[in-house]
Amino acid sequence: MRETVKVLRFEGQDYPLEEGESVLDCLLRHGQPVNSLCRSGSCQSCLLRATAGTLPAPAQTGLKDAWKQQGFFLACVCRPREDLTIERCDAAASYDSVVERVTPLSPNVIGVRLARPLGFEFRAGQFLQLSRPSDGLMRPYSIASLPGEDELELHVALLSDGQMSGWLRGAQGQGVSLRGPFGECFYQEGEPERPLVLAGTGTGLAPLLGVLRTAVQHGHRGEISLFHGSPQLSGIYLRAELEAFSEALPNLRLFGSLLSGPEAELGTHGRWRFELAPLDQLLFSRHPKLDNHRLFVCGQPALVQSLRKRAYLAGASLSRIHCDAFAAPHSA
Amino acid sequence: MSTSIYDRLGGEAAVDAAVDIFYRKVLADDRISSFFDDVDMDRQRAKQKAFLTFAFGGPNSYAGKDMRAAHARMNLTEQHFDAVMENLGATLTELGVAPALIGEAAAIALSVKGDIVTR
Repeated sequence: MRETVKVLRFEGQDYPLEEGESVLDCLLRHGQPVNSLCRSGSCQSCLLRATAGTLPAPAQTGLKDAWKQQGFFLACVCRPREDLTIERCDAAASYDSVVERVTPLSPNVIGVRLARPLGFEFRAGQFLQLSRPSDGLMRPYSIASLPGEDELELHVALLSDGQMSGWLRGAQGQGVSLRGPFGECFYQEGEPERPLVLAGTGTGLAPLLGVLRTAVQHGHRGEISLFHGSPQLSGIYLRAELEAFSEALPNLRLFGSLLSGPEAELGTHGRWRFELAPLDQLLFSRHPKLDNHRLFVCGQPALVQSLRKRAYLAGASLSRIHCDAFAAPHSA
Repeated sequence: MSTSIYDRLGGEAAVDAAVDIFYRKVLADDRISSFFDDVDMDRQRAKQKAFLTFAFGGPNSYAGKDMRAAHARMNLTEQHFDAVMENLGATLTELGVAPALIGEAAAIALSVKGDIVTR
C-alpha cells in the first residue's frame, strides 16, 4: 500500500514531496532558491529550520545540540516521514515591546529592561534584534534575564557616536519592536557535572549572565568559571551583584581580566580574582586543557574567533564551544 | 570482495573520532595551517570530515572534478600535499589503526594528488 503523500509547508505554500525525495530536491524542483553545495550532509550550506513536524534523525547529523533543539536541519539529507513546516534560517516574527527601565551599570554600559512580549519565547543568552519604530534602526542585543521573568534584561554599550545606544539612554517609556530570538549561546541541560567556562569582554557579560543564571536555576554542579574582560576595573560591571550571587555557589569562580589598574585593585577580592592579563592569557593559564568543558565565548569578533580556535586546540569539541561575536555596526 | 576501509575502520564513528585529531594537527602545522584557518570552523571541520571519508573509501566521496575545483586556486605544492599526508598518517597511527589500513587510506589520498598539486 502506498503511504500518504507528505507535504512541505514553506513560505505560505504547500509542496507535495515525492516518495523518498529530500527537502532540498523538492524545493529546487518547485523553483525555490535554496543554497546547497555538497548535497551529502557535510557542508551545511542548505541549513533550514523546521517549525512544525518531526525531523528524521539523519537530517540533523553533525549539527550542534543547540541547533538541533531549535529545529535546524540539512535540507539535502532530510527525507520527511511526515508533513513539515519549514522556514529559512533568518525568518522570524516581530514583537512589540516597551522600554520599562534604563539603569547605568558602568560608565560605558546601561541596563535596559523591556516588557516581555506575549509569546516571545527564548533561552537566556540568545540575542534579539531591537528596532526603533520611528526609523527602523536595528541593533542586536543579548538577553541576560531568564525566560520566567516579566522583563527582558539587555546590556547596551554606550558608544560615543552610537545612534541606538544614545537613544536608548533616554528611551524609558518608548515603544520598540523585537525580532528573534537568535543564536546558540545558551545553557545545555542534561549534563549537570560538566565544567563550564564563560568568557567575554564588555557587554559580552550579558549572554554569559543568561547562561550562568540558567545553569544555577538547573542546579548545575560542575565547576563554573566566569572570565570578564575590560580595560579597567570600572568596566567589570555588576561586580557586587555577582559577588552576592556567588555566595551560595561554591562551584562558581569569578575572574576579571584588566589591561591597566593600580596594584590595590589586583589579586583576590572576595570571590573575584583580578589580574593584569588579556582575557585569553588568563583563561588558558587557568584552563590549559579543555577536553571535557563546555565553553561560552562572547564579545569582540576577533577575540571570539581566537578563543574558539585556541579552545579547540586545547581539546574542546567544536560542538561544545558556543560563540556570540558582537559585530559592530560599520557606521554607528 | 573486500569491504571498504571505511567499514573496516568502523564507519562514520571512526571518521568522527579521526576528524578532530586530524583538524587539530593541520591547524597546528605551520606549513599548511593558513589553508585551514577558516573563521567558519564548523564548515572547515565538515570539509575535513568529507576528506577523511573519501580517504577511507566511504560514501559521499569527492569526485575528482570536485577535488580539482576545490583546490584549483590554492596554488598548492607537493610540500603542502605531503604535509597533509603526514598528518593523515599521524592521525591514524594515534588512533591505533593497523599500518596496512593506513597504507590503503594513503593510497586513496595519493590517487588525487594530480588534482590538487597545481605547481
